[in-house]
Amino acid sequence: MRKLLLLALALLPVFAFAQGFQVNLEGQKQIGMGHTGTGILQDGASVFFNPGAVAMLPQNYIQAGVSPLFYKSDFNPSGTSIQDHNADKIAYPFTFYAAWGPKASFWKLGLAVYTPFGGLTDWGDTWQGKYVLESLNLKAIYIQPTISIRLADFLSIGGGFVYNRGSVDLTQALPLANSSGQAGQAELKGSGKGYGWNAGIYFKTESGVTIGITHRSQVNTTIPNGNAIFTVPTSLASSFPQPNTFSSTIPLPAVNSIGFGFYPCSKWILAFDMNLVGWDAYKTLSFDYKSTTPALQDTHEPRNYQDAVSLRGGAQYKANDKLFIRFGGGYASTAVMDGYVSPEAPDANRVYVTGGLGYTLAKHLDLDLSFEYEHLMKRTQTNFSTQLSGTFETNVYIPGISLAYHW
Amino acid sequence: MKTFKQHIYIIAGLLLLGACKPDIHTPKPSSGSADFSRYISVGNSLTAGYADGGLYLAGQLNSYPSIIAKQMQSVGGGAFTQPLFSTAQANGSGYLSLTGFNADGTPITTPVTTNLAIRGLLPLPGFGNVTLYTKYTGDLNNYGVPGIKLLYITDAGLPLPYANLNGYFERLLPGNSPTLTTSYLDFVTAKPFTFFSNWLGNNDALLYATSGGAGDFLTDENTFAQLYGLLISRLTANGQKGVVATIPDVTSIPYFNTITVGAILGGVQKANPSVQAIFINALVSGTTYAPRAATAKDLIVLTFPTSKIGQPVSTPYGMLPYGLTPYSPIDNQYVLDENEIALTQEHVNSYNANIKSIAAAKGLAVFDAYTFLNNVKQYGLVENGVSLSSAYISGGIFSLDGVHLTPRGYSIVANEFIKAINAKYGSNIPLANVSDYSGVKFP
Repeated sequence: MRKLLLLALALLPVFAFAQGFQVNLEGQKQIGMGHTGTGILQDGASVFFNPGAVAMLPQNYIQAGVSPLFYKSDFNPSGTSIQDHNADKIAYPFTFYAAWGPKASFWKLGLAVYTPFGGLTDWGDTWQGKYVLESLNLKAIYIQPTISIRLADFLSIGGGFVYNRGSVDLTQALPLANSSGQAGQAELKGSGKGYGWNAGIYFKTESGVTIGITHRSQVNTTIPNGNAIFTVPTSLASSFPQPNTFSSTIPLPAVNSIGFGFYPCSKWILAFDMNLVGWDAYKTLSFDYKSTTPALQDTHEPRNYQDAVSLRGGAQYKANDKLFIRFGGGYASTAVMDGYVSPEAPDANRVYVTGGLGYTLAKHLDLDLSFEYEHLMKRTQTNFSTQLSGTFETNVYIPGISLAYHW
Repeated sequence: MKTFKQHIYIIAGLLLLGACKPDIHTPKPSSGSADFSRYISVGNSLTAGYADGGLYLAGQLNSYPSIIAKQMQSVGGGAFTQPLFSTAQANGSGYLSLTGFNADGTPITTPVTTNLAIRGLLPLPGFGNVTLYTKYTGDLNNYGVPGIKLLYITDAGLPLPYANLNGYFERLLPGNSPTLTTSYLDFVTAKPFTFFSNWLGNNDALLYATSGGAGDFLTDENTFAQLYGLLISRLTANGQKGVVATIPDVTSIPYFNTITVGAILGGVQKANPSVQAIFINALVSGTTYAPRAATAKDLIVLTFPTSKIGQPVSTPYGMLPYGLTPYSPIDNQYVLDENEIALTQEHVNSYNANIKSIAAAKGLAVFDAYTFLNNVKQYGLVENGVSLSSAYISGGIFSLDGVHLTPRGYSIVANEFIKAINAKYGSNIPLANVSDYSGVKFP
């Protein structure tokens, strides 16, 4: 009389992460101008914005900046008056750039360290969607050595190699109550790496307009051996073996950009950028556990992202020899189709405005301040797989500061 | 002029900070055309918050009427009082608790027998023993009485008024069994109210089914219709609005779907491959029962002691293995056979047709629990990232007795009632957060 009541616990922890988590904060001068920089030359941040333009930089640069990011989301579950706010946590996307070459040479070397993808959200362990996500801390740090060559006075090219160091820490409540009624928890925590490349071309037209075109490749980041930590009632411990590890691969998408710079008079620079982000590569999210049980199976969640487009514009006004005033804005379409929106980074079409100030502190030293406000449009959704149903709305506030030394 | 400018900057700065957190505009709470100021709930064990084979404080606190009432607060709902057991007697009638799993994955349940609210056992001649519970006095909104059938609400046809026979009802009334005279119908309508929910009628079919068709009977269909009409006319006598629920298909609950004929046979065949069938005593027609081989269409109750299978039992043909021959079939009380199921379903369908037509005639909201639970059984349910089903324990909806619900199950039911009310009366009672309520508790 064995196995009359086999308990097949259909309680697979299904993790969903990585959506709309592109971070566009790669240089204070550029943020001030609506995060444009593919088609213009400003400073060492060109190593990121257009490696092809680096050789055109008149000077050598070493610079660093940080853009503390305040991500304020609200979720209103359908049919309720509840407002679930995510916790006040600040992410610190940062940049470091160096661009160097012999004076008046036709080439320059560059090095960039920056954070093009990431996410930090903490919804807590009491909200409506806690069984979908409690918190996510995702970081991707790209390290990019670069070479750029000036082919002619009006034309330069460049390319770089990208090494990505990624980490993820994700928690989710499990619907397995212990004897005091407390829910279980799953945490996936690990780091991994990925490789990619980028390339760009930059040229000045006869009319004085500058144009840049770049490609930043997809970077598949693999976490081979992350910790899968499950807190469950003692009687279910054998269904969630500990210690356990997981592996997963996240495609960080390719970005194709084209940018233009206009110089109507000596005091003004106008810039326009368009990015095409290849989110289409993100079809499924899989987690493979080292030890599986009937209750803990590998998961393969459909994501079915779509390519996203951003349109950006900005301007810089040179008020005097020491002071620059910048402003800009833009629009980005969402990568996440209806039915796939989830609380990791509740994505939606977004608009943003930016402003910035640049001040020449000393002959070789620039101080730049930037501020960006982003609004993610209200989006009412029922997720296909979790049935979490409600309305998300998000505001993002991003002040930033950087110092650039040039010679 | 300069100070004016400074003020502008300060105000602008404050506005910016205030705008930091987005807030999503939600519709203004409204009770629509209903008045929720005094809501009462009429029903049986499900309404009382019965769970895990007993009525106890934690279950009462998660009863679906209490969840509905809590959600009604924002649309003009008043206080909602339940006949709670005291914290000193929090375990009420006692209940089952999950204490572990056997090596084969079968659950081990243990009765909780401390801190009970039992005040005595009253033998009633010609009826049997009635368990009496500590009296509850005070205001009452939740009139759920475990065990009550619609059939009993007027006391008609009973040897004594029903309040004397049901300890859960007895505890709500002043005076003691066997001297009580108040009928359930008079009891629930004694004090004015503005809104009601009614989920009576389950036991008119369920108790027959859970006894394997052996220990109880199905309420006559015409009697049901007549009593339901009487009940609703009394509840709506002063123009009160309300919501009623249909009777679930008894076969949608894990009590009948956990231990299956196939699983028993498979277990036997592991030890003895020559066994071809297990035998039950099945309904032929009327009251005639005859042994036959069981099929997948016959349902075995959750409480069937599987260890009995194959044990030698005494029969007119000598000692024979229990359940494995036509002469030693599984007892009727453990099996709801195919014909009994058909009979039950026929009654439930008739009950529900009457519930719906009476509710429609009176303009009441209807939660179709029959359809809802059948859908859960067939397709499962996903709520806020939690997969739910009608499976025993792992399904998350049904408690350890396989009939009543977990707090999570009751919160889902409460939301279905709320949706029905909102749709009917144009109110917008906010839905409860199902994620706040747990399923079966694991040690």
